[in-house]
Amino acid sequence: MSGIDKAIVALRELDTGATRIAIDARIQLIVALGFVVVVLTVPLTNPGALVWMFAYPIIMSEASGVGYLRVLKQSLWVLPLIAAIGMFNPILDTRPVAVVMGITLTEGWVTFAAILLRGLLSVQALLVLTNTCGFREVCRALQRLGCPAVLVTQLMMLYRYIGVLLEEAQSMHRARLARGFGRKSYPLKMWSEFVGQLLLRSIKRAQRVHLAMLARGFNGNCFIEWARPSLHWRDLTFLLGWAAVIIALRFLPINAFLSNLISR
Amino acid sequence: MSHHYIRYTNVHYSYPSGQEALKGVDLLIKHGEKVALLGLNGAGKSTLLLLTNGLLLPTEGEVNVGDVPVSKKTAPMVRRAVGMVFQNPDDQLFMPTVWDDVAFGPRNMQLPPSEVERRVEVALRSVGAWDLRDRAPSDLSGGQKRAVAIATVLSMEPNILVMDEPSSNLDSRTREQLMAIVNDFHHTVVIATHDLEMALELCPRSVIMKDGRIIADGLTERLLRDQELLELAGLSLTPALAEYVEK
Repeated sequence: MSGIDKAIVALRELDTGATRIAIDARIQLIVALGFVVVVLTVPLTNPGALVWMFAYPIIMSEASGVGYLRVLKQSLWVLPLIAAIGMFNPILDTRPVAVVMGITLTEGWVTFAAILLRGLLSVQALLVLTNTCGFREVCRALQRLGCPAVLVTQLMMLYRYIGVLLEEAQSMHRARLARGFGRKSYPLKMWSEFVGQLLLRSIKRAQRVHLAMLARGFNGNCFIEWARPSLHWRDLTFLLGWAAVIIALRFLPINAFLSNLISR
Repeated sequence: MSHHYIRYTNVHYSYPSGQEALKGVDLLIKHGEKVALLGLNGAGKSTLLLLTNGLLLPTEGEVNVGDVPVSKKTAPMVRRAVGMVFQNPDDQLFMPTVWDDVAFGPRNMQLPPSEVERRVEVALRSVGAWDLRDRAPSDLSGGQKRAVAIATVLSMEPNILVMDEPSSNLDSRTREQLMAIVNDFHHTVVIATHDLEMALELCPRSVIMKDGRIIADGLTERLLRDQELLELAGLSLTPALAEYVEK
């Protein structure tokens, strides 16, 4: 299976492969977003406090049957992007903060580690959410929580058309393979032409889709209406339970408590 | 029966690239007629359909749907009456689920939710796709996509159905289903197609186009018997169809 084929399968699994849990998607969304906000309040100078926050994605993914390994693997794809955000910190901030096994740790490295952990935690929280709700349910939850219909529609169409774009790329890739006679690598120029062609095909398709939308009365307004099912006790228990756990992970001095325990 | 007719009066259309797609088309399609537009690629069939729906406006001449001249101002009203099924169902299915896609048109018509639900159910059941309602369009087979694409238009309860190459890429079973759907549609139908068998089976009347002009208009059976005309239009009969027409 080529990389594009795998990407198509992975994209479809965002919905069809989601391991649903019996908690309302709105509540899961609130918990996940609350978790991200709490993670972002942890100071960059204290990455140790972030380590305990991994309890949320680990417990959620294992309890729902998604499996933390899957979430971890998926989240590693964005690690380079997260690293790019903090890559200059170790160079620009060289104030020493500690010496560990003879190696001087600088403030820049500490904040860089904190940025990596914050990024991974945020991405993992959202991955757990889509893996346990499905992408469509997340969009519906957004709408039900009052997010403007135009934003939700954009998000859903983006999701739909990543698939279409991948299918275009897949057909071009297959056509190239069919006439590639086993050739594995291609010069950069060819790749740039491939991407250019993909862009042109996507624009053409976007034009045709726009026509199809107009043909069915689209005038720029979005009419997504979803019923708001009532919440159950289990939803509220889930919300309160996780709120308590996340606040505890954030504010209790777990590291100090553990080091005291060990020193005794 | 539909209360709408379609009248094209000296219609010209040029694309922004300068390509002249229609060169003075005059045509009247009456209430409840089923008409096939036949011709090679580039003959102007699809352009004529896009003009009917108000997606393109003529550079010269006039298109009337009923008593309404198609213009930028009247296009939204015209699109309520004229349902268009596009050649590639992937272009037509853009929402994340089949249900949302079929509901897209009725919602844009600002119908009450209960009426939207009713229309979606009726449309999906009529094409045999009710069981697919929660599926993502990307997960459907070619035939299923085509059926749902037709449902997206039927849910708007149009008076006129225009279809661009509806039988392309369909297997024989799905093609049969499509024919049944069109046969059950009791309003005006205009089909642009290369599929001469489909034209013969569904449309008593055909219009043959070449290079943006109408070169023949009449009974499908009679036109398909005219070998000289077919050669001029670049159309050819399959052996089975040739045998049938000769009989």
